[in-house]
Amino acid sequence: MREHPWYTRLAIHAVLVALALPFCMPLLWMIGTSLKTPDQVYPKMVDTSVASFAKQWWPSPVQWQNYPEALAYVPFPLYLRNTLLLCALNVVGAVGASALAAYAFAKLEWRGRKVLFAIVIATMILPGEVRMIPTFALYRWLGWYGTYLPLVVPAFMGSAFFIFLLRQFFQTIPDDLCDAARIDGCSEWGILWRIVLPLSKPALATCALFQLMGTWNDFGGPLLYLNDQSKYTLAFGLQQFYGAYGGEWAKLMAAATVFTLPIIVLFFLAQRTFIQGIATTGVKG
Amino acid sequence: MARRNNAAGWLLVSPVVIGLLVFSLYPFVASLALSFCDFDIFNAPRWIGLWNYRTLFTEDPLFWKSLGNVLYYTALAVPLGIGFGVALALLLDARIRGLSVYRTIFFLPTIVPAVATSVLWIWLLNPQIGLVNMLLRLFGVEGPMWLGSPEWSKPSLVLMGVWGVGGSMIIYLAGLKDIPVSLYEAALVDGANAWQRLRHVTLPMLTPVIFFNLVMGMIGAFQYFTQAFIMTGGGPQDSTLFYALQLFYQAFQYLKFGYASAMAWVLFVIVVVVTALLFRSQKRWVHYGR
Amino acid sequence: MEGDERVRSPGARRAVAVARGAVLAAAALLVAWLFLLYEPPRAKRYPDREKVVFWHMWTAKWEKVVGEIVDRFNASQTRWEVVALVVPGGSLKTLIATAGGDPPDVMAQWDPVIPAWAERGALTPLDEILDPKDWAYLEKNMYPAVRAIGTYKGHFYGLSTGMNIWALYYRPSRFREAGLDPDRFPETLEELDAAAAKLFRYDAAGRITRIGFMPRWLSQWSAVFGGSFYDATRGELTLLDPGALRALEWMTDYTKRYGFERVQQFESGLTTSMGASWPFISGAYAITVDGQWRIQDLAEAKESDYRTAPIPPPEGGKPLACWSNGNFMVVPSGAKHKQGALAFMKFWSGVDDPERAAEFYTWGGWLPITPDVANARRYQQYIRENPEFATFVRVLASPNVQVSPPVPIQAYLMNRLGSAEDAALRGTLTPRQAMERLDEEIRREQRLQNAAATQADR
Repeated sequence: MREHPWYTRLAIHAVLVALALPFCMPLLWMIGTSLKTPDQVYPKMVDTSVASFAKQWWPSPVQWQNYPEALAYVPFPLYLRNTLLLCALNVVGAVGASALAAYAFAKLEWRGRKVLFAIVIATMILPGEVRMIPTFALYRWLGWYGTYLPLVVPAFMGSAFFIFLLRQFFQTIPDDLCDAARIDGCSEWGILWRIVLPLSKPALATCALFQLMGTWNDFGGPLLYLNDQSKYTLAFGLQQFYGAYGGEWAKLMAAATVFTLPIIVLFFLAQRTFIQGIATTGVKG
Repeated sequence: MARRNNAAGWLLVSPVVIGLLVFSLYPFVASLALSFCDFDIFNAPRWIGLWNYRTLFTEDPLFWKSLGNVLYYTALAVPLGIGFGVALALLLDARIRGLSVYRTIFFLPTIVPAVATSVLWIWLLNPQIGLVNMLLRLFGVEGPMWLGSPEWSKPSLVLMGVWGVGGSMIIYLAGLKDIPVSLYEAALVDGANAWQRLRHVTLPMLTPVIFFNLVMGMIGAFQYFTQAFIMTGGGPQDSTLFYALQLFYQAFQYLKFGYASAMAWVLFVIVVVVTALLFRSQKRWVHYGR
Repeated sequence: MEGDERVRSPGARRAVAVARGAVLAAAALLVAWLFLLYEPPRAKRYPDREKVVFWHMWTAKWEKVVGEIVDRFNASQTRWEVVALVVPGGSLKTLIATAGGDPPDVMAQWDPVIPAWAERGALTPLDEILDPKDWAYLEKNMYPAVRAIGTYKGHFYGLSTGMNIWALYYRPSRFREAGLDPDRFPETLEELDAAAAKLFRYDAAGRITRIGFMPRWLSQWSAVFGGSFYDATRGELTLLDPGALRALEWMTDYTKRYGFERVQQFESGLTTSMGASWPFISGAYAITVDGQWRIQDLAEAKESDYRTAPIPPPEGGKPLACWSNGNFMVVPSGAKHKQGALAFMKFWSGVDDPERAAEFYTWGGWLPITPDVANARRYQQYIRENPEFATFVRVLASPNVQVSPPVPIQAYLMNRLGSAEDAALRGTLTPRQAMERLDEEIRREQRLQNAAATQADR
């Protein structure tokens, strides 16, 4: 494609920078607050000067020790390990099962397909709060209460969100491609594995990222089903800074920054996979 | 055509079906049954027929108020979210430097934990010294009370919701990259300018993804809960008492779980109808390019 | 093709690839260490003892304090081992676990669950399982507010581990500045109103820069005015109580006099639970009402320009009055080790050894449940070190301290009460209208709940 003329590029940059500022705020503020002393966390109400405003974003003096202190408060490596385990299992399970199902919904015709898809979508619509108690009872009856199983096994049964998303993407892949492969004697599994999935890397990566973020941040599930501090996750650790009488906000933000940083780094580095163009494959069109 | 393959189809969805049967069926059926019961969580449920539903519709003003609140939110947040998300994705699809940085920045609000963003926004929207009102003051406008005002509390939350558009932006970007280059080339050959290319190539090819975000956005907006729970607790004057929040209070604070289940199923019916209408409308505007 | 890729030179591309590789390698090393080599710290375990499961909501630095108390208990006897688990997020997990049949043996909470859960049979009446000697001691000695919070329908369900008492904090320096004598704090509410008027400060545009005093929280002031939302003898709610109404009218007068919007503009965004960044410390208020835990916050912020005083009553009101709640421990009815739970609770609250327990209370800056603990040597020393704390201990012993009405719909009541107060202060409704609306809402809710129960009985 042609490159834009320089004035268009400049205009785009200008708009993006203007928009980017409010979006940067959470991270910058979080980092800034994490370096404050307890009394600097909230601004002095009477002071509306620019200097005090600036101090909200980068305090002085800088309390670097909030970080090691925050990390020492909770068994951070233990929580990290537990979280990584859960994330890995959930990502593999959810993306895998959902991709299989999405392919069946998008590219195959079979009896009951529409009804089943409607049911899958419908499962997202009932608010989770009212399912909490029956679900809890179910897991208890299965004997899974207090283990990781309620937090892992459901992922391997697919996620309605991903099934829907991947179905939309798979449907944009031309049917002729799949038909041609079938004529050549390729099995459905082969079509999925060799044609559809490679063409859908951005969508799959997006699903993986969302599931990773979901499991990484999940607090409700671990809260309800875990009874052993040694199984707790990072999301839990974050809650442990939110104190009974008042949080240690600076340390909470330090923990939150450490909590968030891996995902940001991962996202930044893995960008190519998300947004990969398919021009190189030259198959479409 | 060999596209019809019952065995393969069912085999591929078997994990999903097992999951539905084992993990979803019982909770769904149970919650429906509970909606016809008086259930305080600690003692066995007792059947009361349609009493919950009847009370909900005729004797509970907060039911209507919370429903109104969530409709307001959905009607504003979903279109704004889609418009803004698509626009952002289009901007980031351009051939300019530093795209990775920009994309990460716009995705940040979605990654940062809710507890941090809530505190940040409470400060930003502070009428006295918050950033938003300070900026408005530069233009000579005295901003409202934002979260502290019954009239402005919902718009404040809509603003926060739109700011979290990074997730859907990623999906739009993936969708944009999926548009075959050949289509653009053909359009150029036909002499189309940028605006026409947008209208006749980009947007139509993006409709499957827009449809996804529309449906998911709508389903999510109807269940809006977290920010209201953390930041406002339903106030001021019940202006941010959203349906899901009221449901939560009824279930776990007032211990009226059967009543809350009835609320859940009322919402279910409403959203299923809206979703079905949206799916029905697919034929008219969603373009699965083949 | 990627826009940003095209513009990079081969050297830059290599640099990016190296950086990427480095990060991946570091991540791989971290993962390997976590899963193969890392050994999590192991808590002390007594495998032969009966395990008493203790769920509590103490986080941040208080988690360590509670952990220390648990360790001391475990070391002090050989029959039980208390295993503490911090459970954030309020009472939700305990609610579901108890209903699901897997409750902890003892739970520490401050969510006002006692009336609602006791009504439904989810809590064990402590007066029935305590040793009669211990119960007699408690019955005779506990502070009025402790008794009020823990009692429901004649039984005692929750033993408080830390009561909260509210009083006034004020700044002597501001008093002097305004020509008031900090050593002679107003003794009536009317005097307080006059003093407050002198302590407000405004900027050139008329916006408030310092609040002299602004009353909030109707439950608080209703107690001070001698009103009550609950009639204990009849066991009924009295939401239209004249004392409470007078309190609300007085509060509304303040917002009328100083302007609700103007005050709200100043106050919004100020939350009162943010540790040392409490607005009183930052100078936003000259006088404010708050709880005893602020003493520790002030000490941490090294703030010494403050004094405390009990809330002065209005004419016809009650002295040494305030609203109180507490952190309390309950034993779910399905608990398996109730005697162990009791032993732990007794240990912590000082029923058997006040002197020992006094030390625990000083760690958390908590108020004790019996005067024996308050008068213990260690606690008295704490008071000497923090003289302003004495105000709270004094109010704690007062019979005019009120708690939230012990009714099963307490949660709903408190929610709607806040809404009513807000409507009155905002001027949307007059105080009388707001309370009448509240009364109507509560009556309707009670009627509906009774109707549901009747329907179910059919």
